[in-house]
Amino acid sequence: MAERSYKAQKVVDRLKQKVNRQMVLSLEACVHCGLCTDQCHYVLANPGDVTYVPAYKADRIRKLFKAHIDWTGRLFPWWVGAHSVYTDDELEDLKDTVFGKCTNCRRCSLNCPMGVDMATFNRMARGLLVHVGIMPEGVATVAKDQWEIGNQMGVLKQDYIETLQWMEEELQAEYHEPSIRIPVDKMDADLVYAINPREVKYDPRTIAEAALIFHAAGENWTMPSDGWDMTNFGLFNGDDELGAAVALRLYDSVRRLRGKKLVVSECGHGYRSIRCEAPNWARTTVPFEIESSVITMLRYIREGRIAVDSTKNALPVTYHDSCNNARSCGMTEEPRELLGLVTTDFREMYPNRAENFCCTGGGGAMSMSEYAPRRLKSGKVKADQLAATGAKIVVTSCHNCVDGLFDLIRHYHLNMEVRLLVNLVASALIVPTKLKRPQLLAGFKILVVDDEPDVRVYLGKILKDEGCVVIEAPDANQAFRALQSESPDLMTLDLVLPRKTGEKLYWEIRKDERFARFPVVVVSGYATGDSPLINFHQFIRERNLPDPEGFLEKPVDREKFVETITRALVKKE
Amino acid sequence: MAPMSPLLAFAEDTLQLAALAAMAVVYVLKVRWILSFPAGGDRQAPNPGPATTAARGAQHSLFAIALPWEMASTRRHPLFYVQFVIFHLAVAASIAMSFVIPYAPRLLAGRHAVGALQTLFAAAAVMGVIRLFRRISDPAVRAISSPDDYFSLALLVVWLALSFLAAPNDHRRTEAPLLAYFVLTAFFLLYVPFSKISHYLYYPFARWYLGRTLGHRGVYPARQREAAAR
Repeated sequence: MAERSYKAQKVVDRLKQKVNRQMVLSLEACVHCGLCTDQCHYVLANPGDVTYVPAYKADRIRKLFKAHIDWTGRLFPWWVGAHSVYTDDELEDLKDTVFGKCTNCRRCSLNCPMGVDMATFNRMARGLLVHVGIMPEGVATVAKDQWEIGNQMGVLKQDYIETLQWMEEELQAEYHEPSIRIPVDKMDADLVYAINPREVKYDPRTIAEAALIFHAAGENWTMPSDGWDMTNFGLFNGDDELGAAVALRLYDSVRRLRGKKLVVSECGHGYRSIRCEAPNWARTTVPFEIESSVITMLRYIREGRIAVDSTKNALPVTYHDSCNNARSCGMTEEPRELLGLVTTDFREMYPNRAENFCCTGGGGAMSMSEYAPRRLKSGKVKADQLAATGAKIVVTSCHNCVDGLFDLIRHYHLNMEVRLLVNLVASALIVPTKLKRPQLLAGFKILVVDDEPDVRVYLGKILKDEGCVVIEAPDANQAFRALQSESPDLMTLDLVLPRKTGEKLYWEIRKDERFARFPVVVVSGYATGDSPLINFHQFIRERNLPDPEGFLEKPVDREKFVETITRALVKKE
Repeated sequence: MAPMSPLLAFAEDTLQLAALAAMAVVYVLKVRWILSFPAGGDRQAPNPGPATTAARGAQHSLFAIALPWEMASTRRHPLFYVQFVIFHLAVAASIAMSFVIPYAPRLLAGRHAVGALQTLFAAAAVMGVIRLFRRISDPAVRAISSPDDYFSLALLVVWLALSFLAAPNDHRRTEAPLLAYFVLTAFFLLYVPFSKISHYLYYPFARWYLGRTLGHRGVYPARQREAAAR
């Protein structure tokens, strides 16, 4: 018999400890009918490559199971295709399958006539490899951060608290209302709100939007200062111990604060982990209710605690069901009901709900950069689904899906934006009169020119909050057409645009007599070190063009942006 | 009617009973083996919706195979589903026939009953050949097939063909096919617990557990139908 490496032996030993009854049944029951084949987005995007077939991937694990646990496999391995692992190279090969060719989306599981839950034992196989240190580097880094720092993005406590304070100050300043709070560690709150660290690091406006909704609903709520991460990388890397430890931190926070209910922000895997999986990983019963913020927001509207105006979200929207929400938590109708209340033009995506295709960013795929080309290629299925809806906004209730979809939209050149439900609810929220702040730019029509959908959304939101009508253009040609047809009062211009640059557009505008004095505020993405300002000034000097009415560098400060726009418009008036 | 040969009498009765007893022992051991693994729990709070409970989920999951419209995979391949139904009905009928012939032969006295059975067996044998061809020719299915997969399917095709020949139950004219049918049936009873054909033993367990969990979480029965019913 071939000698087995230390790691391979550990994997074999742990396999025997980790399989439970459900997994044994799933590993035994497959009849190799192949009906799962075209249920996987990887297969659909890679026709002819059998290594993506769900049953083939599952067989990589099944062979190991048959070799060591199954009756027939132990007696007649060749007959049933049993095969053990012997070398570290074989484990690396297995890693490539279980991490790089499957997002654990569970679509094949729900479409297996035998009820074989492939995603569950794929996760188990990931755990076996993680146990011996074999995993994509990104997975190791994120898991380490979650073990050591307490959240998967390594956000330090000080940064977290400061971000909450910053958002609180923003809200108070925006609405001239000091009573808007983001309470931290408030005891005996009715609702403890836990978030995804991505919100702190990349998208803090979602925290502010949720806070505004809670405030408008008159909620008695708080956020924990410690144990606040509702995501759980244990679901992705198959490490039940990590999954349990992360969840227990959050459960303990709610207990410490004597909270009555835990509400988690929009995150598919976070919701699934904290609500459905972690009580099993941690072998505990959770003594309080756990709710997705999607359900909370819907409840507020149903109970009349907040009012919304759906006409604020008039662009056509579609909904992408997160795999974890739809196929593992049954949350498919609540987001649709909510969308029906806060938008005017909802378009269903097909297939949808539990039959929806993965955003391709699930299962921790966004942290595995080595598999990015595969991920993007397999995303063709999702991109086609998105394009077929004709929607301008794809809404999801998962931060992972936001990143996955954003990548696909960019890769496949789809003219769409990705939003979370909280964005749309906050946008549709009818703010109580006492919170309404003066709108400095009410009635002005602004053209926002930027190739980055996120930037357009961000700038557009600020301008809409100030009462402006916003038109968006992702490139110079569309911007020039909008300038002629929409007669805006001002344009914000990104210099780095695909095909025709912002500089050339600026030159064309200034050359055109109709727009020679049209106000333009340049919003550049370059750092000062790259000297775009100098180059731009050199550019306009060489052509004897006037300076723009304003120049701002990204990231754009809200107040400075409003001030610059106001000044440019006043100058024009 | 002339008496049947002692060999056929032995194959129809004693051999079957011995094989059945052996299979029952193996199955008991196999179920005990399955139950020896700890079952994963559902400690989480149930989904707050009367339409989706653990019991309803388990029930839905168990009978999902009879609801081809419920799964995208079966909706997408209706012909495959029809093959599946015919093939499995024929297998069930042939198993039943292995009891009917020795213990209630009058049930096969009518020409129509025999004709219906033979039609079913013939159709199923053709389906089996189609499936065998698919297993060999489809690269995806070929890649996941083991010798057991080919052997089990080929054996079933032969068995269904013998079932077709044995259905008239006329040992004066068709003793050889009858004998072959019963010997093969006995072999099946012994072989099945160790082969992929034992999937029918796992099916209720696998689907029940999956359905229980998904029902508890609000996934099963599929909630779009709940929405449509509102």
